[in-house]
Amino acid sequence: MSGGSRMEVLLWAKRICARRAAEAHTMLEISADATLEVAQQAFHTIARNAHPDLHRTTCSPDELELVTSAFALVAAAYQQFRATRLATTKMASLRDLRPDATPIPRPDGAVVVPAPVAITTASQMSARAAIHYRKAELALRRGDIQAGMLHVKMAIAADPQSKFLRSALAQIESELPKKP
Amino acid sequence: MTVALGIDLGTTNSVAALATPTGVEFILGSRNERVHPSVVAFPESGGVVVGGDAKRYRLTEPQHVIHSAKRFIGQNIRAPLVQLAMTGVQYKVVEGPNQQPIVVVRDRRLTMPEISSHVLVHLKRNAERQLGTPVTEAVITVPANFTDGQRQATKEAGRLAGLDVMRLINEPTAAALAYGFGHERDQTIAVFDFGGGTFDVSILRLAGDVYEVIASDGDFFLGGDDLDRALTDLLASECTRVLRCDPRPHAALMMKLMMGAEAIKCHLSDNDAAEGEIDGLDLPTGQVAQLPFQITRRQFEDLIAGYVQRTADVTRQVMAAAQLQAGQIDEVLCVGGSTRIPLVRRRLAEVFKREPNITINPDEVVAQGAAIQAGSLTRNLSAGTGMGVTHAVATTQHSVLGGKPPRATTQPQFDQPLRRPILIDVNPATLAIQTAGGFTEKVLDKNSPIPIERSRVFTTARDKQTRVEIDCCRGESRKYSENEPLGTLVLDKLPEKMRGDLKIEVSFRIDADGILQVRASDQESGARQEAYLNVLGAPERAT
Repeated sequence: MSGGSRMEVLLWAKRICARRAAEAHTMLEISADATLEVAQQAFHTIARNAHPDLHRTTCSPDELELVTSAFALVAAAYQQFRATRLATTKMASLRDLRPDATPIPRPDGAVVVPAPVAITTASQMSARAAIHYRKAELALRRGDIQAGMLHVKMAIAADPQSKFLRSALAQIESELPKKP
Repeated sequence: MTVALGIDLGTTNSVAALATPTGVEFILGSRNERVHPSVVAFPESGGVVVGGDAKRYRLTEPQHVIHSAKRFIGQNIRAPLVQLAMTGVQYKVVEGPNQQPIVVVRDRRLTMPEISSHVLVHLKRNAERQLGTPVTEAVITVPANFTDGQRQATKEAGRLAGLDVMRLINEPTAAALAYGFGHERDQTIAVFDFGGGTFDVSILRLAGDVYEVIASDGDFFLGGDDLDRALTDLLASECTRVLRCDPRPHAALMMKLMMGAEAIKCHLSDNDAAEGEIDGLDLPTGQVAQLPFQITRRQFEDLIAGYVQRTADVTRQVMAAAQLQAGQIDEVLCVGGSTRIPLVRRRLAEVFKREPNITINPDEVVAQGAAIQAGSLTRNLSAGTGMGVTHAVATTQHSVLGGKPPRATTQPQFDQPLRRPILIDVNPATLAIQTAGGFTEKVLDKNSPIPIERSRVFTTARDKQTRVEIDCCRGESRKYSENEPLGTLVLDKLPEKMRGDLKIEVSFRIDADGILQVRASDQESGARQEAYLNVLGAPERAT
């Protein structure tokens, strides 16, 4: 029969609920640099032992609530871990897509500045900021400096701590007066 | 001894089943049919008639026969798609409290959960007659992308029918469970569920006893009904042209054409052309006329191409969300009657670059999965428990849906050492709250595993703000107005503070049924106040 013993699961649930604000890998009880496969296996193991469905007939309502909360928190941690990992892979492919050095001519003949700096590491901004930054890059390649600036500003809003983004904005702003 | 049924409560048809030590037993109707039409009639003679018998009243009293109630259940009546669906039914739907749709039939006003509960009671009675024991518990399936309101309303329907709904499970997940149970598979599969009123596609990771949904999407307003309607429109214009009478304002006439369209659709799944006439059309002039028709499969496919294209597009989206290529999918399951249409299968084969699995019965597999889950939750799955019904194990008789011979059904094996299956489903849409400037801030992502709980801390936008309204919505847009509103939470009499100083924790929790609980609390005031969300369109919540 699958499902961990009742005491074991209750102890686990208490431990998890006490850590509710901890980082995702701590909640899943794996190392910070674990791969997606390891995270998935860890989550499956937790589900096999502690999925609330397995305990609905053996636990009291209060205990079941505790197990459900713990499982719900772990599910959120798993989702977060997965999202961060996938964002990192996306960043890698984003780097491959970064604009080449040759400026793209606009229909009206004005020369367009390529995006200020290529992204070098994922740690320079959050995943959401990276999406805006990517949009900014594309806008700049199109020659739409206004939209490019807007997207960089949105990236900054998503990740106000990033010095990289602020320097990028400054660089674009310095290009602005050259525009007709 | 509790008996827990698995029920596939469909838009057009419903199926109920029970897990027994020797397999899954289907609940049969009075004509030994496994598939029960989800039709409820309130005939002139009084009383309520459900199932195949209710269908007979469609011609004589079309405005008193409620079908496709699932298209309205738990919906906000003001939603554009609901307004569209109202034009396609012959009965009267009006707005009730909390913006929920209400059916007006004769002098009665019934909520959608009440209509669906009649279908459930019908299944429950048949089951009790067949099994000889009272049925008190059930697992009911819902489309994977049903909203919170639709789920709550479905649960309410179960409660009204006198059933303890232990769990709502998603239809594609149930199908995957029926496919995988007892086989200890290690596969990535896609379930393509195209039914009477809804369309879903889910990608699952099967790891032995764990069924993890990786991504899921769909459209709860896309199904066989829409294909019937496209064909009905064609027949209606034929009727106008040939018989010089526009049938659209006449309920009985349209119903007749709709039934004709359904029969033609089913015929065209096996044949290249349909030719014949729809007779017994009572024209308003008093004559009884016949409408000849001649439709090739090609014509029909052109008519429905747009709908089928949409299913293919959604399927591609789901593959992208799961970050999988067609080659990484080990099996494609076809669920729902509309997957019998050759064009649908062709498109599906194109998307997945492989032929879909058609050995499972697309009408019954969902109920089968629900029955297994019901057995698992009541711990009645283990071998040898015995439920006293071995003598009544499913007969080989099969409902004659579209005049088809019975198809092979995969029967799960119950005699092996048993591990209870674990279903991990996902949240079908991003849930967010409105922030300053009409934008949204995500709280729970689409395709997050459930049950899940996540809290975010927000703050006030103005100085000395004593009241906050937290607008919750469902959808993928960054703009609040482009998403579907769920409802508003209000926190009142907050302590006066400078903007940004007050901390308000908003926590979203989705339980294993996919039902959302939103709680907002202010963390500062000594007396922590909390507010709960009541979702629009859903039945009023007791809390």
